[in-house]
Order: sequence, then C-alpha cells, then structure tokens
Amino acid sequence: MIDPSLVANNVIDGVLMGLLYSLVALGLALVFGVMDIINFAHGDFVMIAAYLSWLLAMAFWLDPSIIAVITVPVFFLIGVAVYKLVIEPILGAEPLIQIAVTVGLGYVFQNVALGIWKAEPKSFPNPWFNFSIDLGPVTLTVAKLMAAAISLISLYLVHYLLTNTKFGLAIRATSANREVAPLMGINVRKVYAITFGLGIALTALGASLYMSWGQTNPYLGQSFSLLSWVIVAMGGLGGVVGVLYSGLIVGILEALGTTFFTASARLAVVYIAFFLLLWFRPRGLFARR
Amino acid sequence: MGWGEWISESKRYIIGTLVLGGLLALVPFAINFDMYYLLILSTALLYGVYVVAWNIIGGYAGQLDLAAFAYIGLGGIVAAELFTIYGVTPWVGMFVGAGVAMILAAAIGYPTFRFGIKDVWYALMSAALVVILNNIFHLPELLGSLDHYLPSKYGWMYLRFPTYENLYWFVTVTLVVAMLINLKISHSKTGYYLRAIREDELAAEALGIDVRKYKLLALMMYAGILGFMGYVSIVIQGTYSYHTFDSPNSITIAIMGIIGGLGSIAGAFTSAVTLKIIGEYLRSTLGASIPGIHLLIYGLLLIIVGIFKPDGLAGVWVSLKKKFVKKNVRGEKK
Repeated sequence: MIDPSLVANNVIDGVLMGLLYSLVALGLALVFGVMDIINFAHGDFVMIAAYLSWLLAMAFWLDPSIIAVITVPVFFLIGVAVYKLVIEPILGAEPLIQIAVTVGLGYVFQNVALGIWKAEPKSFPNPWFNFSIDLGPVTLTVAKLMAAAISLISLYLVHYLLTNTKFGLAIRATSANREVAPLMGINVRKVYAITFGLGIALTALGASLYMSWGQTNPYLGQSFSLLSWVIVAMGGLGGVVGVLYSGLIVGILEALGTTFFTASARLAVVYIAFFLLLWFRPRGLFARR
Repeated sequence: MGWGEWISESKRYIIGTLVLGGLLALVPFAINFDMYYLLILSTALLYGVYVVAWNIIGGYAGQLDLAAFAYIGLGGIVAAELFTIYGVTPWVGMFVGAGVAMILAAAIGYPTFRFGIKDVWYALMSAALVVILNNIFHLPELLGSLDHYLPSKYGWMYLRFPTYENLYWFVTVTLVVAMLINLKISHSKTGYYLRAIREDELAAEALGIDVRKYKLLALMMYAGILGFMGYVSIVIQGTYSYHTFDSPNSITIAIMGIIGGLGSIAGAFTSAVTLKIIGEYLRSTLGASIPGIHLLIYGLLLIIVGIFKPDGLAGVWVSLKKKFVKKNVRGEKK
C-alpha cells in the first residue's frame, strides 16, 4: 500500500511546483493570447535565466531567489530585444514558420548554454531557504513555499495589470481586435513589445525562484516549454485564472505520476493527460468562449 | 502541361534518383574505404532517409511533426529486442518494427486528425509523444535505465559488419527507395491532395478531399519508413535504451526538412546530408572546446530561413534558376 503521508507530501509538492509552472506559463499565455505568436523557445528563456541567476548568485554569494531583482528587469529588456529582432518579422506568419523560427531560437539558446557551461548541471551550493519544516505528517521545503507564494502574488499582479489599468486595457483591446485597436489610438507594436518583454520577464522570475533549490542544465527549457504549452492548452483563453488552475492540475498530475509510477515517468502522465485533453476538450478546461 | 510531358518529367526524376544512388554507391571507392568517413557518410545518408520520410508528413501534408525518434526508436527497439531475445533476423524484425511504428502512428493519428488537431497543437503532441515513449521505456519493466547491446553476431543476416561499407550501401539503397516513394507520392493523386491540404485545409475539404484519411496516410507512410530504419540507427549507435527516444534529434529532423524546403525531395536530401556532414565535421574539430556548435548553426540557419526564405534551399534554387534562365521560366509560366 502507498503511504498516505507520502501521497500528501507529493501532492503538496505538486501544488507548490504547479504555482511556479503557472507563473512561467502565464508569460507564454500572454504572448500567445495577445500576439498570436507561437513561441517554442519559451522554456529556453527559463533555462538562460536560470544560468544568469546561478552566475550572479555565485558572484554575489546571495540566494538565487534574491537575484530575481536583477534577472527580471534584464529579461524584460532581452524580451523586447528578441521581439524586435526575431518576433516582429514573423508576426502574422503561418504557424509552421513561427514554430520553425522559435525552435531555431531555442536551439541557439541551448547550444550557447552548452558551449559556455557544458552539460553538467549547475546549482547554487549555499541556498538560504532550501530547508524543510515538519508539520506533523507532512514536510515542507521553505524555498518551494516561498517560490509558490511569490508566484501566486505575481499572478495576481498580472491579473490586476490586465483588468484594472489603462495599459491592461490596451493589451486586452489589441488581443480582441488588432485591426481596430490602432484606430482607438493604441500603438500596437509598442503593446506587443511590452507584452513580449513581460512574458519573458515572468520566465526570469520563475527561473530565479526555481534556482533557490533546483539545478539547471542546457536542456532545462525543453520540459518547461512543453509543460507551459500543456498549461496554456488546458487554460484555453480563460485568462490568468485559467492558467492558475491549469498549472495546479499539471503540478498535481506530475506528483501523482511520481507517487504511483516512478519519478522518471511523471512527465508521461502529464503528457498523456494532454493528449486526452486535446482530443476531448480542444478548447481547454477553462475556456471563456 | 501535357500528359506526355508529365511522364517524361517523372521519368527524368526517377532516372536522376537512380543515377544519384549509383554515384553515392561509388563513394566508398573514392575515399578508399576509410572507416571514419564511411561512418559519417552512413549517418548522413541515414538522416537523408529520415528527412526524405519527414517530407511526406511535413512537406506534403504540412504537419510539423516533431516525433521522428518516437517511430525510429519504437521500430528499432522492436527489431533489436526480437533479435536479442528471440534471435529473429533483423530482415524480419525491421518490417515488424515498421509495422509497429505504423500502428502507433495510426493510434495517435486517427483521433488527432479526427478531432481536427493541427498547427501548434499537432507539433506539441508529436513532441510530447517522444517524451511519453522515453518515460514509458525507462520503466524497469521495459528497458530500465541500462544500455542494451545487440548480440555480437555479424554478417548480412544481421546487418552488422566489422566495417562500414556494407551498411553504407544498405543505407544508400534505402535512401533511393525512400526518394522513389516520395516521387511516387508527389506525382500521384495523394500528393496533390496532400499539397492541397497543406495550402488550405478547409478549401481542400470543400473540394471533397477526405482530409483526415490523407493526413493519416501521410503520417503512416512516414512512420513506416522511420520504423524500418530504426534498427539501422541502433546498429550505428551500437546500443539502445530509453535514450533512443531522443527529443532534440527529433527536432533536428524537422529543422533539416524545413531548411531543405517543404515538399522538395532534392532539398530534403541536400539539406540533411550537408547539415549532417558539416555537423559531424564541426563536432570532430570543435566539439571538444565548443560542444553543440553544429546545433547552434542549425538553429541560426533555421531562424534565417524562417524569416527571409521560408521556401528553404529549394526556394533558393528556384530563385537562382529564375535569375539565370529568366526568359525560359517567364515564357513557360505566362
């Protein structure tokens, strides 16, 4: 029989990871939902940001989660630059071209990372919050708890930005109709650049938080990319709330896969669920339309 | 274009493919049976087969499939296990492997096309398929974490040789066959239907094309060729394990197909073989100091092709041809 406290522990872990996945996927959902850009390199931004967090953490000997203060603005700028160089030329291109170009971008990131840092994983040797506290039958890792809390706050902030600010209104207007939005005095290119920058900044926040207990390697981005897409598929066009619930579902599925099969089969569980979802609920679980 | 011209054109392509195959078969003599070069060339031509096969689903049908190594791995592992455990000759095992890969393609493709999944979602599902198989075969009940070796038997019976020239010739023959299958599809009703689906699925459906059926057919032909070649891939690697379900390399095959130009057999062949040879060369010269340099170049090429030349190498060739034989092309077309 499987120990119930093990199940509880794994599920709690899944919930915490799920919140982090939601944070990363939210960036992808913004870019896909607002700009109609299919970004297959989304996870590779997480990977590069994880390396940057690790490098700066080593340099300043601070916990990587603190380094988010630097990585988030830097990645916002990187996002805007990548938008100008690579994304703008393929706006409105057919899906295959967008996929091809962003797959190429991901390949460049992965192999630059491989060239510079080689294949062995990197982690910060002196994490501040990577300890556990016992709460009766369950054990919690403080770093993950913190990452989950910050993810939740950030999701709320983005939700607030989209629903309660003038810029959020511009984003939503552009998303709803990109032909009419400019007639209403919205600078669509600027909205796109900032949206892409914001999406990439969220990957950096996720990466810095993740590095306070995790480790990075050049291929870290592949699972983040696929998981983010699974979350976007589940969330449909249900906005921030849809992404939040979908992230939690993915996190919990992964935890159940680890519990009932093995850790190495946990992604299979998530992706099989993804197949079933696409076949039977192609508009996602939380679609508005 | 007249009926007679069509026959002569397609005959010209068939003759061209056979001549190419003949020339490729002579290469081992030109390089004096150098083992190292033969290994690289065998790998390059094997990738040629993969990408030419990918051209059916990616190039003609326009579905960005990222699951090449799901079918290569499954077909290869089936043949390898049949050989290792039951002593079945790979000549049978490879066909069984191809069959199993086609069954998988049908099992995945039928509901996928039935529910109208395409574009980004198709690409994601195919990418996820490689990870699912990788994880499932990692289970201790299947392959576990270990590397598995083929029994040390050599000869044509097992398609394993102490030197590489026989394997090279075998891959050359399969490449020619794969190219001829592509040619056949390209000039058949199926090929025209698939291209119509790629250009505009709704319009194709409105014209009465059974979109689902033809997409599934394309996927199964692609999976069958890959599944058949899986055993050769394992022979070249020397071992097989859950790592045989290789996500990055699956993407590489799609990259090569796109760089070659969608729907172009010559483009697919040229891009796969050139990129693989350049890749292996860079890996052997700079690989120790800058690992992944060849993949970095593939990535950059893909971005450039995607942004500036979405028709790929085939498109470059067509525009060069237009530049030099301007009058002819214009006269013919308009």
